[in-house]
Amino acid sequence: MSEFIQLHMLVSYPPSNLNRDDLGRPKTAMMGEKQRLRISSQSLKRAWRTSDIFSRYVGEYIGVRTRQLGSFIQNSLESGKPLTDLIFNEGGNASRKTLSPKDATTWAVKFVTLMKKGKISTGKEGEEKKEKEGDSAVSIDQLMHISPQEVACIDGLLARIAQGEKVSDEDLEVFSPAQTAVDIAMFGRMLASTPQYNVEAAVQVAHAITVHPVTVEDDYFTAVDDLNRKEEDSGAGHLGETEFAAGVFYQYVCINYSLLLENLQGDRNLAAKSLEGFVEAACTVPPTGKQNSFASRAYASYVLAEKGIQQPRSLSVAFLNTMNSEDMLKSSIQKIHETKKNFDKVYDLAPTQVYEMNVTSGTGSLKELQKFVAGPV
Amino acid sequence: MTEWLVFQLYGPLASWGDIAIGEYRPSCDRPTRSAVIGLIAAALGVRYDQQDELDAITRGYRIAYRMDDEGMVMRDYHTTHVPASGTGRNRHIFATRRDELMAPEKDISTVLSSRDYRCDASVTVFVTATENPPYLLRDLIEVLKNPVFVLYLGRKSCPLALPLNPRIINADSLADACAQIPPPLFSLKKHLPSQVRIFWEEGINAGLSELHAVIRRDEPMSRKRRQFANRVEHVGFLMRERV
Repeated sequence: MSEFIQLHMLVSYPPSNLNRDDLGRPKTAMMGEKQRLRISSQSLKRAWRTSDIFSRYVGEYIGVRTRQLGSFIQNSLESGKPLTDLIFNEGGNASRKTLSPKDATTWAVKFVTLMKKGKISTGKEGEEKKEKEGDSAVSIDQLMHISPQEVACIDGLLARIAQGEKVSDEDLEVFSPAQTAVDIAMFGRMLASTPQYNVEAAVQVAHAITVHPVTVEDDYFTAVDDLNRKEEDSGAGHLGETEFAAGVFYQYVCINYSLLLENLQGDRNLAAKSLEGFVEAACTVPPTGKQNSFASRAYASYVLAEKGIQQPRSLSVAFLNTMNSEDMLKSSIQKIHETKKNFDKVYDLAPTQVYEMNVTSGTGSLKELQKFVAGPV
Repeated sequence: MTEWLVFQLYGPLASWGDIAIGEYRPSCDRPTRSAVIGLIAAALGVRYDQQDELDAITRGYRIAYRMDDEGMVMRDYHTTHVPASGTGRNRHIFATRRDELMAPEKDISTVLSSRDYRCDASVTVFVTATENPPYLLRDLIEVLKNPVFVLYLGRKSCPLALPLNPRIINADSLADACAQIPPPLFSLKKHLPSQVRIFWEEGINAGLSELHAVIRRDEPMSRKRRQFANRVEHVGFLMRERV
């Protein structure tokens, strides 16, 4: 049994070519025997996961701010006390084997270099650092933020070092600070060289499909040759066709909250921040395909969020019979309500907790939606 | 009288992976045994490295299914940016996807793949237990209703669009079981084929004669090494009214 958060979104894009196939045409899918426009799952995930909005949320998250992480790591290895206890619980008991001051310093320097540079430095610079005595080698030049989750991660590695286990440079390089840990926790990681660090994604994103049938249109364009004096040939310099289409898309996302929490080592605050960031990105960030030609940036017009433990299910069957209406958004929203209600009735399901944000009727707000999604489940 | 656990699988997109070596990732026109076993294992919360539990589930149940709607093929053109990981001193391990995409452009190459999906495929699955199932069929009902991991139809981007609706029925044969369960969605197709295809594995009492048997390489052997073994699948059909 797990806690799931489901997002059902309706987004209306003007003429655009957000996601194209190998022929440059907008991607399509058949549903209910009619052709629909499609935005692939991978395209949506990439747009959201690399967006500035998403990383901004986690970047603002403040844990402990310090310059002394290196010293604490050194202390932890020398005294045998867990790092988490030293930083957050003011002490703690020596429950691990201790290392010699020299070894403890070497490891502390390695960690500090990693935090500063993002990779272990080999070669001359690394050698210099190892030779320095005292605290100056293990201090970090700027104040940095470190979250409980990052401390827990480092602590895990320190415990292994204390046990005498071999911790390779690879193991250290794969350690991830908060910003990147959220990316992995939500969207997963698969490393061929170190499969033990694979992480199962907590977020499932379906391919977005339009609620109505769509015929892809062609835009025939010419590019004039500015220097052609039309003495011999008055034709254009280049002829071409771009395909495009417009549509109201139904997007479905399912977040396995229990798995997200597990992937973030139980850090509820970080999980909440990451969910807030994800919701804003999902509601406001479009894929980048052909944006310069079409400027088709749209925000979600409607979001229905559900929380519960029941088997998650998309509501795409609402649009199996294609929508064919004057007021597409309004009818689609009604169809979603109707379908959800019928599912609950026919399958005898306990209703989930819901929150709705509806631009057409002006109800709900993004902030409240974020609070609902990120709040205690 | 045998006990059958019945549930339905439907989603706008599904992908039942067939043998795939390079950039073309095909889909079978019907579920693989490994996909259904995987779905049950995911609902139970079994993880990829728990091979013993996975084996117990693989050996503990027998699976049959009725293709209520085979759906249409869709080929997705999927590109993936892959940064070069360098060698020797320049070797770099990327901790996250964002890091990978931030690598200098000259170091990023694009991997192309064509992945097949089935649109609007609808399947009713019938499961019986062998002599030694790890869980009783009726215990699986609760688990399927409130799963541990998200369930999907072959690929993670293919979520279920209907509740599984798991229930237990009693029937002597697969054909009788099929007769008790109507198809989940009225079909929108104007011209339905008059026959519905049924598939079952060895050890199931079908109650109908088989058209032929095929060999499929979808018996899960090792999740870590992604190895599959051959197994025999029997194919038959039922007339639509009977279903």
